[in-house]
Amino acid sequence: MKRMKHLFILMAISCSILVSSCSEEFLDKPAYGALDEELLADEKGVNALLIGAYAALDGQEAGNALGGGGPWEAPPSNWVYGSIPGGDAHKGSVGGDQPAINPIMKYDFEPSNGFFNTKWKALYEGVTRANTVLKLLAQVEEITEAERANIAGQARFLRGHYYFELKKMFNMVPWIDETTEDTNQPNDTDIWPNIEADFQFAYENLPPTQDEVGRANKWAAGAYLGKTYLYQEKYQESSNVFTEVINSGVTSNGIAYGLTENYHANFNAALENNKESVFAIQMVANDGTNTIANANQGIMIAYPYNSVFGGSGFFNPSQDLVNAFRTDPATGLPYIGTYNTNPVKNDMRILSDEPFTPSNQSLDPRLDWTVGRRGIPYHDWGLHPGYNWHADQSYGGPYSPKKHIYWQEHADEFSDQSSWSPGNAINVLIIRFADVLLMAAEAEAQLGNLTKALEYVNRVRGRMADNPEFWLGEYIDPTQPMAGFSDELAANYNVSRYPEGYFTSTEQAMDIIMYERRIELGMEGHRFFDLVRWGVAEEVLNNYIEYEGQITTDVRGGNFTQANRYYPIPQRQIDLSNTAEGPVLKQNTGY
Amino acid sequence: MKLSLLLFSSFLLFQINIHAQGGDITVNGTVVDAETGIPIPAINVIQQGTSNGVLTNFDGEFTIEVPTDAVLEFSYIGFATKEVPVNGQTEMNVTLSAEAAALEEVIVVGYGTKRKVDLTGAVSVVDVESMNRQSSPQVSERLQGQVSGVTIASSGQPGEAPQVRIRGINTFGNSNPLYVVDGVPTENINHLNPNDISNLQVLKDAGSASIYGARAANGVIIVTTKKGAGELSINYNGSYGMQQVPEGNVFDMLSPQEQAELRWRAMQNTNPGEPIVDLQYGDGEQPVLPYYILPAGASQGEVDESTYYLDPYYTDANELGNFNQIIRANHEGTNWFQEIFNNAPIMNHDFSVSQGGEKGSVLFSLGYSDQEGTLKNTFFERYTARVNSDFNLSENFRIGENLAVSISDNNRVGLSGENAINHAYRIEPIIPVYDIAGNFAGTQAPALGLGYNPVAVLQRNKNNLTRTSRIFGNMFAELDFLDVFTARTTFGGTYFNTNGKFFTYPQYENSQNQTTYSELEKNAVTGYNWTWSNTLQYKQTFNDLHNVSVLLGTEAYYNQYEEIVGVSQGFYSFDPSYVSLSTGSGTQTNSGFYTEDALFSVFGRLDYTFNDKYLLGATIRRDATSRFTNPRHGWFPAVSAGWRISQEDFMANVNWITELKLRGGYGIMGNQSNVDPANAFTTFGSNRTSSYYDINGSNSSVEEGFYRDRIGNPNATWEKNVNTNIGIDMNLFQNRLQVTADYYHKNVVDLLYNTELSATAGVATFPFVNIAEMKNSGLDLSATTYVDFTSDLRMNSTLTFTTYENEIINIAEGVDYFDQVARRFNGSAIVRNAVGHSVGQFHGYKIEGFWDSLEEINTANQAAQSSVGNPDALYQSGIGVGRFRYADVNGDNIITADDRTFLGNPNPDFTAGLNIELTYKNWDFSTFLYGVYGNDIWNQVKWWTDFYGTFIGAKSNTALYDSWTPTNQNATAPIQETGASFSTSQVPNSYFVEDGSYLRAKNVQLGFTLPTTMAERFGIGRLRVYVQAINLFTITNYSGLDPELTGTATAFGIDEGAYPTTRQFIGGINLTL
Repeated sequence: MKRMKHLFILMAISCSILVSSCSEEFLDKPAYGALDEELLADEKGVNALLIGAYAALDGQEAGNALGGGGPWEAPPSNWVYGSIPGGDAHKGSVGGDQPAINPIMKYDFEPSNGFFNTKWKALYEGVTRANTVLKLLAQVEEITEAERANIAGQARFLRGHYYFELKKMFNMVPWIDETTEDTNQPNDTDIWPNIEADFQFAYENLPPTQDEVGRANKWAAGAYLGKTYLYQEKYQESSNVFTEVINSGVTSNGIAYGLTENYHANFNAALENNKESVFAIQMVANDGTNTIANANQGIMIAYPYNSVFGGSGFFNPSQDLVNAFRTDPATGLPYIGTYNTNPVKNDMRILSDEPFTPSNQSLDPRLDWTVGRRGIPYHDWGLHPGYNWHADQSYGGPYSPKKHIYWQEHADEFSDQSSWSPGNAINVLIIRFADVLLMAAEAEAQLGNLTKALEYVNRVRGRMADNPEFWLGEYIDPTQPMAGFSDELAANYNVSRYPEGYFTSTEQAMDIIMYERRIELGMEGHRFFDLVRWGVAEEVLNNYIEYEGQITTDVRGGNFTQANRYYPIPQRQIDLSNTAEGPVLKQNTGY
Repeated sequence: MKLSLLLFSSFLLFQINIHAQGGDITVNGTVVDAETGIPIPAINVIQQGTSNGVLTNFDGEFTIEVPTDAVLEFSYIGFATKEVPVNGQTEMNVTLSAEAAALEEVIVVGYGTKRKVDLTGAVSVVDVESMNRQSSPQVSERLQGQVSGVTIASSGQPGEAPQVRIRGINTFGNSNPLYVVDGVPTENINHLNPNDISNLQVLKDAGSASIYGARAANGVIIVTTKKGAGELSINYNGSYGMQQVPEGNVFDMLSPQEQAELRWRAMQNTNPGEPIVDLQYGDGEQPVLPYYILPAGASQGEVDESTYYLDPYYTDANELGNFNQIIRANHEGTNWFQEIFNNAPIMNHDFSVSQGGEKGSVLFSLGYSDQEGTLKNTFFERYTARVNSDFNLSENFRIGENLAVSISDNNRVGLSGENAINHAYRIEPIIPVYDIAGNFAGTQAPALGLGYNPVAVLQRNKNNLTRTSRIFGNMFAELDFLDVFTARTTFGGTYFNTNGKFFTYPQYENSQNQTTYSELEKNAVTGYNWTWSNTLQYKQTFNDLHNVSVLLGTEAYYNQYEEIVGVSQGFYSFDPSYVSLSTGSGTQTNSGFYTEDALFSVFGRLDYTFNDKYLLGATIRRDATSRFTNPRHGWFPAVSAGWRISQEDFMANVNWITELKLRGGYGIMGNQSNVDPANAFTTFGSNRTSSYYDINGSNSSVEEGFYRDRIGNPNATWEKNVNTNIGIDMNLFQNRLQVTADYYHKNVVDLLYNTELSATAGVATFPFVNIAEMKNSGLDLSATTYVDFTSDLRMNSTLTFTTYENEIINIAEGVDYFDQVARRFNGSAIVRNAVGHSVGQFHGYKIEGFWDSLEEINTANQAAQSSVGNPDALYQSGIGVGRFRYADVNGDNIITADDRTFLGNPNPDFTAGLNIELTYKNWDFSTFLYGVYGNDIWNQVKWWTDFYGTFIGAKSNTALYDSWTPTNQNATAPIQETGASFSTSQVPNSYFVEDGSYLRAKNVQLGFTLPTTMAERFGIGRLRVYVQAINLFTITNYSGLDPELTGTATAFGIDEGAYPTTRQFIGGINLTL
């Protein structure tokens, strides 16, 4: 027993010494499941970081916007920030659902509205990822110059895109690049020159084609550069670069830019990355994540309510937008300025089981690829039932969105049912060739080259006029919507080119181009930003509110003022920029 | 229950028999204090072996009739019991001495024990017997109100860990105390069988707790489990009871007809004069309830029910489009609360065998707890087993072990956010539980909102389960040597494994089906930690005056945690026996997480007592941790002192004071639990959902990408809790009143806070930085009285009283507040943690009343317009007649974000517990009242039920009958409209804040113990039977289900449909053989 006691004392003492002497090692614990910078600073690592920078394009993570907030608060398609306040659509659903969109719809922008903060955060994460690529690329030694230029070009293209989004939404935003140490920077300088420099670099350094179709190429950079010039009203520079892009541009997989004969091919996952796709965010369904984070999560709530999609019924096209598709039955031309005088007949307050005959007015065929309306085939899902597909028709109006709706035929492949509202694989188009043509038309019109401008506009209209086989047809059998479409058109479609010499002045040409952009790019997130840069937002939007307010209750009381040209800098970010000398970020004027 | 009544009545009969024995002579006498010679009143004088007894009067005199050969027993708390044979005497003078044991009462403190009278720190000792009168299977829940300085909130959900706060909130992160069970630190004691507990102490101040250094800041709860003692004894405790659900229309919801009328009202208010067309209720002047709600609004005979087609177990999402569900309206209205809540049983069984002696002791116990939840398909079931043993190998060498194994099965619903309970007040009453074919009905019936059928939600949850198994224990060896030294080594720890199984069924009854596929998720969490402590203690008394005790020790701690999750989708059959991770045909995913951390510490304690009067204590601990790198080490010192005034000569004649001690302490406690072990590192990671991208345009797969996922702070260090404590202990009137009071002040500095960085830094996990500061002060008071009314009727009662006041001093440079809990408002949060305020305060616009007329609005708008110089300005956004008028807090005539103000505080002014125990002969009665005063509650339920415009769904009587109309301007709720507005429900405002004070009878218990003589006749040691009511009544003005709510350290007291604490009626038995 005595020996045991001594043994015990000895053990206790020696063990204590043992543990304390090796305690430093005992206490060294790494961060598990993560890499440090050094491990990524090679060609492979930088490429993987570049994929990460692309992955921020959709602004999404599992169940949330990138960095938190609802997925719909940072949608890459800007349906909340470009289409709804632009008068293309209502918020939809019911008043109490996503109430923070109501003030966006009615130009009552509060800096504390969480939506702005979410969008801001998602975009700056994109900037951060692009900067990380550039920062680490500088440390990589073993790499070919061509590869270095390609990676740097893509990173700067992406950074240019993220900043372009920030610029058009918030105007005065802080510039952070790969050399910035302190990320709390002021927003006191115009960043257009920086954005221009990024796209210029990308345009000069990117190859015309890429191994992977999702990567930005030289021509995508050119198109974005032209757009950057256009936003700054640098029409000559814009025209120059657009001319090159239109004449020589090819897609990343090497197809010469052109307009798809089938307008709807732009919104169909089965036909994506076609010749019209200049730069698109690649969406993917059923990617094995059991989430819809990579499957258009940002627009998940914008499926018709009470429908087979199980949607919430957001993003209902406005009557004003629908009316804009009216065409003169004799000329096939639109009623610019007077399109609301004889509105397209709608099914307001008519229950789905009560009879309704759709309008027989003459309409641009793009309407029924843009808007879902009562009695018209909703892809291969059946005739749109009207009333039943709206949570509150008197609030959000009688129409449904259509461009991001997948087909039943492809539902297994291109829809993703891993969430309470579906995801889909339909790419989000940042720039498509029709957009390039219309932007180029603008530049030419502003420069007085009216013939060139008309040519571009007519190329876009001509695609519709020349391809009636791609206009929407009636179902062969309305009870069997998947059985296909007959030759009988779904509505009275009529569209044609403007006659030769139709453009008589820059002002008149611009009125037409502005109108054409609306109907060609309707519901694609551009409208609000276009109206602002054209300087017509106040007039157009207040007229819209007045007109649309007669039909639905949601927009009543809305009022656009000049301050609303830009969204407020998120209050949260101003607060976070606080230093001993006060906040570094300054609010936009008018807030 | 009937059986126990029978037992009771038979015991009553025996009682009468015993009384039939009479006394023969009258004995008179006086009882005096042996030390002072002063007579002692209220001494219990009992004829041994009987219940015949009396109390001494104020002059210490007594008179009792007893047989000549009787033995009298003189007893009183704090004095040694004395037995005196009568031997025919009729006069008797008895002296009683203060009981050595009372002075020697030993308290377990950090790494050792101390005499209670020597304590200099703030230590609360829990009355374990009183605590264990509660029925909850969880120790921490039973602790509520039992000790001062500890605030506990729990929910009614079985297995839900309660929120335990010692002296308020000390951090923005984890505020849970450190538990030390048999010397082994742990973060969780939910696995403990409460009946295994021998004693439980709460160390509240630095003087007592800072020996636990970097983990002491939230306070320390020391638990010691039972040891075998005395002769072989076999114990059984069992109880069985029923948990009762409140009856009736608990959420105060409208009937279907009223619901339709409210819809009409809201439509008319919103669009006056416009015709109403409604899918369900027609287009008439008045709404008409349809016969069918699916097809919407169809009348009887209009629908061919034979066309019904639905496969509830469909496996192809495309099938959904082919379903033809038919749902009849429930005109009477479905009472969804009653559909999901039912009365449920609760039971506890505990069996133990123990024995102890010179050579050692052993205790073996088995426990079983089964609590079914009142909410359908929730439950907690736990098995525990324990073996505690120790062996005295020689006079000075001991070894022993404590080992406990537990297995618990638990099925719970999430309590924050949206769950079955809040869908019970969201789904409209016109929807029946089942459709015409017995499948679930739901919002597939259109225009009835988005609420889920909560019965379906719970039914689908039925086979889900979380099973936790845990081994917890330690081994120790202890050696005394050279008379004054004791060396001890303890090695102990935990190994636990939690397996979760969650099956998701495809839904079909909702307008938005959450899932249209089947999915199985299984997770396995394994945790493993060990603590090895070695201490050396030196104890010596010099000249009978100087008591010195020194403790030195080292401790090493290692902890690892691993999580593995597998998910499989697309099951051919949903039969639970078929479903496994390998049988899914669809997407399979897995994920995992691993972390580890370690501590190495050295510590010491010095205690010095002079002449049993002056007490001095000092502790110091040096911790080194894996969580911090620069510096890795920290020092945590504390000093404390005590003065036993009652020992002074000048107090010798103050007879009413038995013990009077002043205590004070100062020291630093640390907290390291709020940082991730990876906090020091800047790291890059990949994530399939946020950093992978389909660069190939494949439409079906994504490629791996990386991003910076964490920004590190290598300089983070401990939170430090600088603590001052002043206390007083008093035993008065011969120990009849014992009072302990402590006042404390804590400055919590270097609080870790992960300041959100500007978004320009990206969205990586932000580092925790030692930047914030808060303070807490408060008073802990406990008072115990012992009153013997007669020798048969005795009472003791304990009152505990706890207050704390919390204030945030600093958050970060340029950061005055951080907001939490946005819910469905416009992005503004409900909770603001701001400098100068306590944590958790509610924040928003203050409602002044309603806008009763356009004139009022115009006047306010004009003032706003001239004030800001804008002719379009409105006083407040969304201003309108019948809506809320917000207070212009900053007086600038216009409502902006700056007019938001603090609307309420969820921290109570005080909490109190009152425990009263009465014994009369063999009967005992006890009651325990618990009260919380002065806290506010954010009743988020009202957001759903009191505003038509928030969401289509079930609404309350308030919405229809007590909302603003031109003729009811003195209303509760605003005008009912189809949309929500800034001026109604879109922003957090004071409508949702209510007083949450309550007083609850936690326990009322009546017990009967079989008289000893009877028990012997049956050959049993002791038998007690009891009946009890738990939560018999609650007095509160709070309108929600239950004012007792939990939450996080910085956001709590938010009611989204609490899992209510229920009333329980229980019968039980305590048996010792």
